[in-house]
Amino acid sequence: MLEKIMNMDRRIVFILAGLAVVIPTLLPVSLPITVSEPTQKLYDYIDALEPGSTLMMAFDYGPSSLAEPEPMAEAVLKHCFDKKVKVVGVTLLIDAVTLADQLMQKVAEEKGAVYGEDYVLLGYRPGGFQVILGMGSEIASIFDNDYAGKPLSEIPMMENITNYEQISLLLDLASGSTVELWITYANAKYDLTIAAGVTGVIVSQMYPYLQTGQLVGLLPGFLGAAQYEKLINSSGKGTAGINTESFVHLLIVGLVIIGNIAYFMTRQRGES
Amino acid sequence: METLGIWIAAFLTLCIYSFLYRDNPFYRFAEHLFVGVAVGYGIVVQIHQGFIPFAWRPVETIISGEASPMDFIKLIPIAIGMLFFARLSPRHTWLIRYPLAILIGIGAGAAIPNVLQADIFAQVRGTLTPFSQLGTLGAGEIIGAALMVIGVICTLTYFFFSVEHRGAVGGLSKIGIAFLMIGFGSAFGNTVMGRVALLIQRVDFLIEDWLGTIF
Amino acid sequence: MKRQVPLVLCFLFGIVMILTEFSPHSDSQELYKEVGRWYLVITPFAYVIGVMTLVQVHGTRIRRRAEYWQYSYVVFAGMILMVVVGMPTFLNQTPFFQARGISFGLQSPVFEWLFEYVQVPMEATTFSLLAFFIASAAYRAFRARTFEATLLLISALIVMMGNVPIGDYIWNTVMGETPWTDGTSWARQWILDNPNLAARRGIILGVALGVISQSIRIILGIERSYLGGD
Repeated sequence: MLEKIMNMDRRIVFILAGLAVVIPTLLPVSLPITVSEPTQKLYDYIDALEPGSTLMMAFDYGPSSLAEPEPMAEAVLKHCFDKKVKVVGVTLLIDAVTLADQLMQKVAEEKGAVYGEDYVLLGYRPGGFQVILGMGSEIASIFDNDYAGKPLSEIPMMENITNYEQISLLLDLASGSTVELWITYANAKYDLTIAAGVTGVIVSQMYPYLQTGQLVGLLPGFLGAAQYEKLINSSGKGTAGINTESFVHLLIVGLVIIGNIAYFMTRQRGES
Repeated sequence: METLGIWIAAFLTLCIYSFLYRDNPFYRFAEHLFVGVAVGYGIVVQIHQGFIPFAWRPVETIISGEASPMDFIKLIPIAIGMLFFARLSPRHTWLIRYPLAILIGIGAGAAIPNVLQADIFAQVRGTLTPFSQLGTLGAGEIIGAALMVIGVICTLTYFFFSVEHRGAVGGLSKIGIAFLMIGFGSAFGNTVMGRVALLIQRVDFLIEDWLGTIF
Repeated sequence: MKRQVPLVLCFLFGIVMILTEFSPHSDSQELYKEVGRWYLVITPFAYVIGVMTLVQVHGTRIRRRAEYWQYSYVVFAGMILMVVVGMPTFLNQTPFFQARGISFGLQSPVFEWLFEYVQVPMEATTFSLLAFFIASAAYRAFRARTFEATLLLISALIVMMGNVPIGDYIWNTVMGETPWTDGTSWARQWILDNPNLAARRGIILGVALGVISQSIRIILGIERSYLGGD
């Protein structure tokens, strides 16, 4: 029996994991969400920004990882548009630009934000750290046009935004190593204030930067998205997702415990 | 068009999930289509958002006759970049080393001062700063600060391979492993959240968007 | 020519980046920006290598009738479709396409449709398979065999439960009316803020020292693996 439990066909685990997602999606539950300090810090920072100040949002995630950063981006965009904080969108990742375009348009429509006055999408440029360094001296030296091809000089919002000096906060929504790039080349060299919203995979490695103040806030994965949605009183994909996620985590924790009990019992039998 | 799109997306999603049972032609079809479409998308974005603004526009200025003598200098990096096409000729493949060497040289040169500043000075400062504020810290924060210093020193000791890990060094290194294990454990816990989030997003699509078109 | 010139170029560009970083003189800063511009101009061309390799690999598969060679046509079909719809923006000005309301380019409806309903679902689903594999791997391999493995396991379980609201819900239900509410979130945050932070900082310092030493070796031409063979 114990052997059977320990060597369970992996497809049974697949089915259990699938059911743990499908059932709560069909029958959603709503559990109270606790807001963690890094999320609260980011919210407070954005909430304290003066109307008319500018937030640069780096959409550094692609379709392979959009589940977590997209609800974060949506929640922060809503907060910014409500606070009349202008948003400049950029991306260092090649497959992020269409996602950014579609999301910004969707939230702007919902909040009545006007393109060119309340927000702008500059788009993508290849070159990673050199794009960051270049924008530090002059944004127009990297992006002479916006994503749609309109010269920056013809966009009213960009009239007074020439480099990082006019950016109050850079929020990097990332699924890879771009946060480190922004910290290394924009924060260390140009003193740009940076916060991050990252996928679960890289949450743990962000904490040293939070403690030093190189990051002023952090949205930790799906949980961060749900927490931010709670802070702005607008439940979305993050809140629904983290509630569903609860059951999968319970399942995995349960499986690990069962596996370990079976392992120790088998080992004890072997010893006796 | 939207409904058709949702049905195609659902079909492709199920094609890929069929791999969970075993490898099959539906999965292979979707996998190859994914590679092709993703590369095609990358080519288009790279040309419109990278090649045209950085490489083509200077050429366009010169062709239009509005260029100043300084604009001609911009042709040099373009010519160097074009050496990447030497990859097409086996005899001349070595020419791609020129642009590659320049990119790597610039990357290395930019990294040294900035990484020093962001990852060494700032991190060491962050480790020591709490000790300059001991009077203002609570008991929990003092324990946290001490734990941090011990953890950083022990982790670094573990990665220091120039000395044999025996005696005091061995002890410190063992403590370092303990810190690393807790760190990796937390990373695993967070990774589970990230991976499951991807699955939730797809199931949400299938149930809300796709089945929503039927029921 | 084949090895010495690239080494000299690498040295020159690396040294210029370092020296100009520390010199506030306007000429020096202009040079810094110019070198940066060179990097930006050359980078898009590097994409060529990736595309050529993919085309060569699948071209060879078709030519040699390797296993599953038919699927290589699917790769080419997908690639060509995206390029045909996304590339020729100059056609947007032609009366033929204008009259029929057909547009090309990154923001053309067809290109965006292909991205949204073909690329996004496939890419997102492919990576979501990892959820199943991580669940299976956790069940099969996560055993408290040693002290270190036990630390890893306990830390992972606490963070996993702290990451979801049900963790606090269970804690608060079990603890009832005590002052210690939301203990699971607190424990997760403590692990991330303390032992995790210390371990990660050790790794960051180690990696940073590695990056700097490797960069010096590259600039000085000691590290030349990027040049390849011959």
